[in-house]
Amino acid sequence: MRRSGIALVSIIGVALSGCVQTRQFADVQFTPPQGDYRLLVMRPDVAVNALTTGGMAQPRADWTEQARENIIQALRTEQAGRGGKVLILSKRNELPGIGADEVADLERLNYAVAQSIALHKYSGAALPTKFGKGLDYTLGEDAVSFGRRTGYDYALFVHAEDNIASTGRTALQVIGVAGCFVGFCAPSGGSNQFAYASLVDLRTGEVVWFNVLATGSQLPGVTFGDIRKPEGADQMVERLLGRMKPGREVREAMEKH
Amino acid sequence: MCIRCEISRRSLLMGGGAAAASLATGVAQARILPKNMVPLIGPGFRPTETDEIGLWGLMDRVEEEVSGSNLLIKDASIVAYLQHIIGRVGGPAARDMRIYLAHVPDFNAMMFPSGFAVVFSGLLLRMRNEAQLAGVIAHESGHFLRRHLIRSWRDMKRKSDIFAIGAMAAGIGGGAAGIYMGDYVQLAQLATILSLFQYSRAMEAEADAMGARLIAEAGYAPMEMATVWEQLIGEMNASARYRRKYRERGSLFDTHPSPESRMADLRISANEVTVPGKVYDAGHERYLKTIAPIRQMLLEDQVKLNDPGGSQYLLNTLALDGWDGTLRYYEGEVWRLRNRVGDEDRAAQSYAVAVAYPDAPPEAWRSHGLELIKQGRSGEGKAALGRYLKMKPTAPDAPFIRQMIS
Repeated sequence: MRRSGIALVSIIGVALSGCVQTRQFADVQFTPPQGDYRLLVMRPDVAVNALTTGGMAQPRADWTEQARENIIQALRTEQAGRGGKVLILSKRNELPGIGADEVADLERLNYAVAQSIALHKYSGAALPTKFGKGLDYTLGEDAVSFGRRTGYDYALFVHAEDNIASTGRTALQVIGVAGCFVGFCAPSGGSNQFAYASLVDLRTGEVVWFNVLATGSQLPGVTFGDIRKPEGADQMVERLLGRMKPGREVREAMEKH
Repeated sequence: MCIRCEISRRSLLMGGGAAAASLATGVAQARILPKNMVPLIGPGFRPTETDEIGLWGLMDRVEEEVSGSNLLIKDASIVAYLQHIIGRVGGPAARDMRIYLAHVPDFNAMMFPSGFAVVFSGLLLRMRNEAQLAGVIAHESGHFLRRHLIRSWRDMKRKSDIFAIGAMAAGIGGGAAGIYMGDYVQLAQLATILSLFQYSRAMEAEADAMGARLIAEAGYAPMEMATVWEQLIGEMNASARYRRKYRERGSLFDTHPSPESRMADLRISANEVTVPGKVYDAGHERYLKTIAPIRQMLLEDQVKLNDPGGSQYLLNTLALDGWDGTLRYYEGEVWRLRNRVGDEDRAAQSYAVAVAYPDAPPEAWRSHGLELIKQGRSGEGKAALGRYLKMKPTAPDAPFIRQMIS
């Protein structure tokens, strides 16, 4: 009786540990782009890996290629609903008059800033100087100059990753959870996703909105979409970009009226 | 696949007792014979299996980042030279491999699974001739020709699978061995690859043996490869000795035996592949001529590492082929930057000797002049500073120097 009680508690714990999490930050004055705006989506950085029994992420070229196409299509559909003019880059050299090196530089700069946002906004190492300021990061003059020359108002950077549990991994999970009934609980992670998006206002260079999505479960067979399939990619893009909230000051102003 | 992967303390702790003990006590493995080292791939190799295709796909992204990195030294003649050498010692894959030179003042080089290599600028500084450089590049080619990365990846996957099933614990397989990668992270910014860089010592030994064979076939003196290790051991010891003497803290791995055993094996292998009576080329002149445009920068990087022991050893080693004005000037810089009692006099002597060479860099004249003024020999000092201004009229500090001598 007591043993099965522990098992039950453990299973609830395990079940709860599987979830979809998103957490977004915005510039205090951010208003989600609507109507007549021009958005440039930088080449989406997509990776799909097979999760081996031992937990290693093994890159899969075919799945990654498939998922990249799905994500691009999903971004196109999602943005169509917002009314802006959108260009999604699939290579670095697609912008007239802008070299691939410059696009690469901007991507690397964004990567460095995103790392900083991840550290100081998501990993708990909050900076006192940025306290209560919403999202206070910028890509600086380079981004403004880039925007001026390309004529775009916003740049969106997207990273999407899906780790798909192999059969062996799923079996290991089953055994791990089944073990709870004999008092040896060893749940292990299965399929999981990680994605982030950062929206840069090219008129000011500022990162105006940032969102991180993580899904995962220790229960075997539980997944939260599969970006190798169009529905899964739609779902991920919707979770990542669908519910863009305005910044604090804008929200407060809206509440007053 | 890096030539000089040191095992960190963390990986020792996590790596389990037996393996770690064998590393720490230097249990020797049987030497791998160069004659057994047959390339496992032919020209134009492309992967056909799912896991390898996936790795190559990832590596294409890495190469895109590496090739566009602003850490690369893009001097066309030097890059062409490196490409030429990999073309000579690359065996069947000679025409397929790419090579990049990164501006990192460390002794290292690495081969990626899809056949591109990254050489650190600190390696170029340490090589005394083309044969030594060819030896290191041949070692890296050996990794590619023997398909080491995919083999170790599969081995790791198998082991982590077994471990996961046996211990019912997941996720340990990946990041267990933290291997020193220098500034690599900065270079590629893709953390995933770090977890791929785990090679067994057997594979390093294979690459050494394969490398010895490749450079001998290309007509380079095979013994130079062992000399590279001899130089590295000397440098590590000099650097450690200096630091230990003045700091209590010593690392467990300061006297890591692995380079010694590799050097010993390489010596035997070199003798094995040397054909008696054949004339081998070291390419000393050609090498120095090619790296001349960046040599001063390489030395500058090194002396600023704040490693006087290592820097001194390195300068003395390079000087075995003859002192010149640049080497003497940087010898002085090592003293000056160390800045202990008597070091300024030593530095002044080095500068004085440096300017006696016709190839003394302008900076040697500046330092020499400043030292002379400090010694009260202001006339001679101003003359030396004048010489500096004449050689480098647009130097950033030229206005100050002009004011000093006016």
